[in-house]
Order: sequence, then C-alpha cells, then structure tokens
Amino acid sequence: MTDPVAITLSRCAKTWPDGSRALEPIDLQVQGGETLALLGPSGCGKTTLLRLVCGLEQADPGASIRFGDDEVSQLPPEARGVGVVFQSYALFPNMSVAQNVAYGLRVRDMPAAARDRRARELLALVRLDGFADRRIDQLSGGQRQRVALARALAIEPRVLLLDEPLTALDAKLREHLRVELAQMLRQLRVTTIIVTHDQDEAMMLGDRIAVMSAGHLEQVGSAEALYRAPASDFVAEFLGTLCRVRAGLRDGLLVPGDEALAFRPHEARLDAPRADALSARVLARFFLGGSVRYEIGLDDGQRFPVVAPAHSSHATGDAVSIALAGPRVS
Amino acid sequence: MLIAQITDLHIRMPGQKAYRVVETDRYLPPAVEALNRLDPAPTLAIVSGDLTDFGRPQEYAHLKRMLDGLRMPYFLMPGNHDAREELVAAFPDHPYLQGADGFVQYAVEDYPLRLLMLDTVVPLQSHGMLCPRRLDWLRQRLAEQPGRPTAIAMHHPPFLTGIAHMDAIGLLEGAAGLEQIVAAHPNVERILCGHLHRTIFRRFGGTVASTCPSPAHQVALDLRPDGPSAFVMEPPGFHLHEWRDGALVTHHAYIGEYPGPYPFHEGGALIDE
Repeated sequence: MTDPVAITLSRCAKTWPDGSRALEPIDLQVQGGETLALLGPSGCGKTTLLRLVCGLEQADPGASIRFGDDEVSQLPPEARGVGVVFQSYALFPNMSVAQNVAYGLRVRDMPAAARDRRARELLALVRLDGFADRRIDQLSGGQRQRVALARALAIEPRVLLLDEPLTALDAKLREHLRVELAQMLRQLRVTTIIVTHDQDEAMMLGDRIAVMSAGHLEQVGSAEALYRAPASDFVAEFLGTLCRVRAGLRDGLLVPGDEALAFRPHEARLDAPRADALSARVLARFFLGGSVRYEIGLDDGQRFPVVAPAHSSHATGDAVSIALAGPRVS
Repeated sequence: MLIAQITDLHIRMPGQKAYRVVETDRYLPPAVEALNRLDPAPTLAIVSGDLTDFGRPQEYAHLKRMLDGLRMPYFLMPGNHDAREELVAAFPDHPYLQGADGFVQYAVEDYPLRLLMLDTVVPLQSHGMLCPRRLDWLRQRLAEQPGRPTAIAMHHPPFLTGIAHMDAIGLLEGAAGLEQIVAAHPNVERILCGHLHRTIFRRFGGTVASTCPSPAHQVALDLRPDGPSAFVMEPPGFHLHEWRDGALVTHHAYIGEYPGPYPFHEGGALIDE
C-alpha cells in the first residue's frame, strides 16, 4: 500500500434537477489512514455523499473533492482510484473467488498473468490463500465479506468506500464480522469512508463518526465524544437511547419540578422510595443476561427506560426513587 | 462502463430443437465465449428475457450452467417464454430476482449508468404489459435519483416495429404510460429491449429504444402486414453498449468466426491493387 491520502470535501452539495436538495454544502476531512463512519437514518444523504466521493454522482458547481493534493471532483469514477464495497450484489456468483477479486483489474485491462498474481496477493492479505478457485456459494458469509474487500483493494485504491457492507447479513454474523472488519481496516491503514445506519457498526468501525440528518452534518467526532457530549438532540437520540423527563433535580435525586432533563438509561439508578423524591414505579422488568432493563413510570404518565446491573432486583409494581449517577450527557 | 446485452436465448434441453430447427442450447456457449473474449472486457452483461423456451426447471438449470461460464457479472430478466417462480428458484444466488411486489423488477445501482429492469410478463401469454403497479414502481425509482443517467431494460419493446406478427404480441398495455414517464425524465438514456430477435431502433418518449438480436435464431425481416410468423438463421449477434462521455454508444456484434481482420492501410496509404 502507498502512503494513505487524506480526503478533503469542501462545499459538497447536491441538488436534484427538480430542485430538491439531497445535500446541503458539506465540509469534511478524513485523515490519511483514518476510517470515518457516515451515520444517519435513511434519506439523510449519507449514501449520496459517498456517491459524490466515488464519482457516481456529480456535486453541485463550486464543490471540491481532494484526495491528498489531487482535485478529483471532475474525474469519472474509474479515474479516481476508489475501491468500493456495495451492499448489493456484493459478489458475482458466476465467477470464482479469484475472478471476483481480479474483476476491476480485468475491466482496467491488466494482463492475465499480472492480475492473477495480484488476486493471489490480495487473497493472502485477507487470509483466504487457497480459496482462489472456489465458487462464491462455497464460502461462508465472513469469507464472502473478505473477498468483497479484497476485490475493492485489488485496484490499489487511494480511498476505500464501504456502503452498508454488513446490512444484508443476519444479526449474529454481523456482530462477528464487525470485529473482523474493524481489525482489518486498522491493519490496512487505507483511508476509508463507511456508510451505515447502524450506530454499533459506526462506533466499532469508525475512528471518527460523522452523524448526518436531512442532508447536513450534525456532528463529527469520536464515538465517545458524540455519546458523551452530543451537539444536538438529534445526535443524542441517534447515538444510543436518551430519556427525556420533565422533573426537578436536587443533589442527584429526581424530585418534583419542571426542568427538561435528559439522561441515558444506564445513568439513572433505582433506589428505595423516599418522601422527598419524585414518586416513580416499576412498570416492567426485563432480565437481559448482562443487565436488567426497567420501564419506569411517573405519576403524571411520563415513562422512560432504566438499565441496571444484572443483580438489580426491583420487581414490577415496586415504588422507587431515581438518582442520576456518573458523568451525564451534556 | 461496457454493457453486453444478450437476449432471447430460448434454452431447451440438449438435443431438443426449438420449432424443430434450432438446438438453442448449442448457440449459447459461443455467445458466452464471444463475451469473455471481448477486449476490453464488459463490465457486466444483461440478459433481456426469453431465457428458456418453456420456463421449465431443467431448462433453467441448464441455462445457469452455461451462463455461469461468463467472466463478468450478469443480470437476468424474464420474457414471455419464462416462468417467474421457476426462474427465481433456479438462481438463488441472484437475490435481486426476488424483485418487487411480485414482479421481477429491480435497480442496478453500482455503476455510472443506473439500470432499471422492468418485468413486462403476462403469465402464459406471448404479449407483454406494464400495469399501473409496475409503472408506479418505475416512477418511484426515477423519482429517487432524478438526474442520474439511467437505462431501462425490458423484454417487450414499447413500440410497433412493423413486423406484424411480433407487433401482435408486443407490449399491448402500458406503452403510453411508459412514454409519458420517460418523456418527463430526460435522464433516461435508453430503453434496451429483446423479443424481436433483431436490431431495431426507434425514438420513444424523447429517448432511444432498441431491440437486440438473439445468439440463436432471428425473426425474419418481413414488413408486409400479413407476413407470416417466421424466423431465419441469420448470424447470431449481441449488443455492446458503451457508456462513454455521458452517452450510450451501441454496437451490433456478430457471434462466430468470420474472415479477417484485414488491414485497410499499408505503408500509410490505402491499399489499392
């Protein structure tokens, strides 16, 4: 791999011909070798932004997309040096593993011997030596994912783009592959943008996360920074669960009052009822193995979840008081 | 981006002749070989319907064995000789065939030219149609990415060709609706069709609609209003569509061995002997 390049987006906007705005002007930098996760709900513009970087869409006039010092916004996709893993049609089922990996090289007219050699190098890199002649349907989900990655890397891309690469897989496999993909991306150190609507995926794969909504960037930062210090309600609610309660707060205890409070479910602690505390009741208790999730109700009808350690033993119907502990979402 | 289009394969089992004449399954391997030999290599292939002759499971299995020899990704769609359920069952590794709303309709998003595949099939009938549900699907897909260069592919062409017996089993419903939709979307670069077993072009809704030859038998060129339903063994062919400089350039290519190539020039001058 060559030295990783930074991706610099300036004033990247996208307006459809009917006048509707897919993306507000966006400025964003991805450091060389960094993995940035674009996170947001469907329709927020994250895939459009990826397609602008890839060259499948043209940004509105005035935009600049630089890979290192090179302005690429006017180049067609094949001239940009991007490797892409799409969610759909991940691999070509009628082609062998090696043919899949060499696909981009064949389309770029690399001679057969050279592309075979390159395909084998890449398969070794993703720990699939010996699988070159296998059919795709003989591979496990994890192996397929690695072939898709090898295919994207075969053209020695300056930039790797992953569009919801794990979305089509079932939940258990996704969890396993997230770990594997995260390790591989760290080892590769190729500048990567990954698009996902899944917060766990973004938190595990992204060195930083850019949260998007309605065509603009809400906040960019590490998973921890976004979780602990969200810049907007949208970020706070999109990254994890946020409890919103109108009550008072005195010495960490929820008391009657009319302040707008916001906290994470695990930041609240349930204690025995107290005369000076806000009166609350356990509406439901769910034992989840590593933790217990309570549904808490207040006398005025407000409800919110609280997550407690697995040994927590309040029962449905119990009266409780609520304390807010530890560092809180600000 | 280079799209190879093959169509109307009408695959039967080995030794079986379509219409007592054409062993269609002997014509597909040379087509696969011709596509694999192309340099530069096609980015992908589309197979625009009438994949098999009778839509039988064993025909699809036989078809799959042959198409899997392609060294490029390929995308399928049904024609009037196909059966949707049997097609989908035979290609479990082509999940896009699950389609939408009971139809084998899907979008191919991963390339510079977007492809929208339409299902014109009326089960057990030779003619085609685009019902309001299928047209709605197209309208919604086009609305998703209004400016993006897009080609539509469908088996039945949406226009009359002048070959009367084929026009009688053409797209009998929905052509006007399609034309309205296409006319409102100047980003529709082309409508790529099959069914006619020969190359035909026509302006349609402000874009170009085309039909493609078969790698086996061709429909006879006969423009008489009472011309009989008949085919000829003209050279097998396919289309090669190149997305280049923001437009789709189409080449009609023949499959088979022909004399040449011979040089035009020698020593910098046209050969004149």
